[in-house]
Amino acid sequence: MRILADMMRAIQSEGEEGAGPTKILYTANLSHDRLTQYLEELVEKELIREANPGSENRIYYLTEKGREFLREFVRIERFSQAFGIEI
Amino acid sequence: MQNELLQLIRLDLIFEVFSGIIALIVTIYATKAYNLTGQKKLSDLSTGFLVLSAGMFGRVIGTWYFIVQFGLTDPSGELLFSIVTIAYGASRIMAYILFVVATRPARHRETMDNGILNGNGISLLLAATILVDPNLEVIAILVLVVVVIQAIINYMSTRSEFAFFVLLGFFLLLLSHILVAQTLQNPGMYLSSQLTQLLGFLSLLVMLIRAGRVE
Repeated sequence: MRILADMMRAIQSEGEEGAGPTKILYTANLSHDRLTQYLEELVEKELIREANPGSENRIYYLTEKGREFLREFVRIERFSQAFGIEI
Repeated sequence: MQNELLQLIRLDLIFEVFSGIIALIVTIYATKAYNLTGQKKLSDLSTGFLVLSAGMFGRVIGTWYFIVQFGLTDPSGELLFSIVTIAYGASRIMAYILFVVATRPARHRETMDNGILNGNGISLLLAATILVDPNLEVIAILVLVVVVIQAIINYMSTRSEFAFFVLLGFFLLLLSHILVAQTLQNPGMYLSSQLTQLLGFLSLLVMLIRAGRVE
């Protein structure tokens, strides 16, 4: 869950420009295989959308559903940390 | 005196209802967090607050029902009262043990000089003897000390405002139990303890509200 949130944060940090796989890979500190697997999962869940699929210039954008998920994750992260619970 | 005691219990139950509602809100939030993350400790936390709120509502309903049904002087009512009190005390201890797990890194009547007690004092003393079980309070204090220590460790390591409100909340809960434990010596402590407990839960509510604000 945290990895997915970190990937989405990496995409969000790029704003309207969207983020490429390399940026996401470095921010979330993932292997290439893992990155591909998680990106597919995020696209499938409609939390992010992919521009130029299949090409070298793939860019990922956060969807509205993704933004809402991230907001909820931040709330839950704060709540858990308040009680000293790692998520 | 009967009326004074009833008023006191009514006020006590109002405090308890508000505390129970806040405990239930924390339960809902912790359950939501568990469903999203699958973190077992959040499930323990949620169960802890659920047990706590169930105990509080059980006590409110039980106390009110038995007062209405049997009055304060009926011997059978007194027995049922003590059952409610013990069940409530046990549920709180169970909840606090769950808090210890979730947040880990990772009757005896005192002889009093009645001469110094006025009518209100007698009511408070009577309330103390029927609403408090000193043995369970001591266990609750011991378990809560561990919870507070863990909350201090968490606050010292994170220094977050949210951790501060949780620490304050648990500390006030501990303080409320310490005040209850002194009720038999000083009956006036009973309402103070209930008020302190409510303040503890309000601190948790403030944490929830602030944590819910996303920029």
